[in-house]
Amino acid sequence: VEPYSTIADIKSLVHKSSAKALRDGDVLQNLPVGTSATMYFRDLGPQLGWTMVFLAEYMGPLFTYLMFYLRLPYIYPHPHAFTSSPLTVVTLACACHTCHYVKRLVETIFVHRFSHGTMPLRTILRNCVYYWGFSAWLAYYINHPLYSPPSYGDLQVNYAFALFVLCEVGNFSIHLTLNSLRGEGTKCRKIPSPTKNPFTWLFFFVSCPNYTYEVGAWLGFSIMTQCLPVAVYTVLGFIQMSIWARGKHRAYTREFKAYPGLRMAIIPLVL
Amino acid sequence: MSSPATGTSKSIQDDAAAAKKRKGPGALATAYLVIYNVVMTAGWLVIAVGLVRAYLARGSYHGLYYSIEKPLKFFQTGALLEILHCAAGIVPSSVVLTGFQVMSRVFLTWAVTHSVREVQSEDSVLLFVSAWTITEIIRYSYYTFSLLNHLPYLIKWARYTLFIVLYPMGVSGELLTIYAALPYVQKTGLYSVTLPNKYNFSFDYYTFLILAMVSYIPLFPQLYFHMLRQRKKVLGHAEDTTKLE
Repeated sequence: VEPYSTIADIKSLVHKSSAKALRDGDVLQNLPVGTSATMYFRDLGPQLGWTMVFLAEYMGPLFTYLMFYLRLPYIYPHPHAFTSSPLTVVTLACACHTCHYVKRLVETIFVHRFSHGTMPLRTILRNCVYYWGFSAWLAYYINHPLYSPPSYGDLQVNYAFALFVLCEVGNFSIHLTLNSLRGEGTKCRKIPSPTKNPFTWLFFFVSCPNYTYEVGAWLGFSIMTQCLPVAVYTVLGFIQMSIWARGKHRAYTREFKAYPGLRMAIIPLVL
Repeated sequence: MSSPATGTSKSIQDDAAAAKKRKGPGALATAYLVIYNVVMTAGWLVIAVGLVRAYLARGSYHGLYYSIEKPLKFFQTGALLEILHCAAGIVPSSVVLTGFQVMSRVFLTWAVTHSVREVQSEDSVLLFVSAWTITEIIRYSYYTFSLLNHLPYLIKWARYTLFIVLYPMGVSGELLTIYAALPYVQKTGLYSVTLPNKYNFSFDYYTFLILAMVSYIPLFPQLYFHMLRQRKKVLGHAEDTTKLE
């Protein structure tokens, strides 16, 4: 190849290549190498683009939950097939769960802009098993004929639902804000900051308010349904998101000199 | 004149970091680990001796579990410390893998054999207990000698050869024991929770045990063939007796 070719050009010559050490925008001439360079490629195996990954992961929970809500045959004992629960909280829970995943799908298609190209097939399979499996498990109990409504009745349901909605709006606001950060150019780096939108004011306290809101939404859903599997799912999600948030927080503090000191990773003043 | 692209400088750093990690635990940690492994070797020897003595006294294989019940529980449960060793970094194994192995042993000891009284007199219990006993005596003495940098070839050979028989033996004993426990678990509803309840949750221990048995199908071959590959690597190059573990 010519000295002025970019790495992206070379990559197009080789179908599978590693993007780890060198970036697509690097020009061959500018790399610190001599007149001939040895480049190491690594075959990462079968990959899937980020958009497809998220579509696969989110479609599952969306449809499996509905299968349980509609009480399709062979899930519950025979006389209950195609019946519906008289409880409002069950329908409300279905609406919440469905809207949550529809929102995620909409964000995947229209909002998010992904950095790395792909994810390995094995990881996608594992993630799909996790998402699909858990949503089936919690949908099974919430839509079960023997489901028991929350101990504190409508009061509990309404407050928890309010928490859920606020956190969903918050999460969406943060995604929009982060999206606008990436606006000009591909590698422009700016500190995420609060905007006029009150939901983004959480940025004063945490680096990753999108994760904070996500945990809050699932917490609301847990309290609303008073279902232990949902609580388990919330805890596991919290653990994973805390790990991600702390990693991001560390990256931010390392990258930006004047990074706000008050900010924690995911829980204001605590974590 | 060729020089490696920037992509490989990262791998050089990784090698340095890995070499530093491979240097192993400090002096205090090594001393602790030697004591730990010696104690565990001794413990499992006690179990082995207990089994032999009980057999000689009774004249039959039946019901030997009762003679070694307490040391078995104590030393097998003590193995939980190994998870902490991995987490603390003084042992170069994966926390997840070690955790999984230890938890499955602890599960069988407490959640199956201890909890379902009726299986304690089964011969399958003796099968897995003896497999575990021989395996653990060899494994802990292997670690002890490795830490002291004086590993007799016999111990290394034993560790990487006897598993060929002991592993299937142990697995058979475990599966037969779980299978024997099934009817009692179903009858008494042991560790099970049914609907309706306040937290909208249910757990059927009977189904869980069946799933546990099924999980052996993918897991056992993977672990077995991994050990076979390790065997080829370790025993295949007899000259390379340096720290491969």
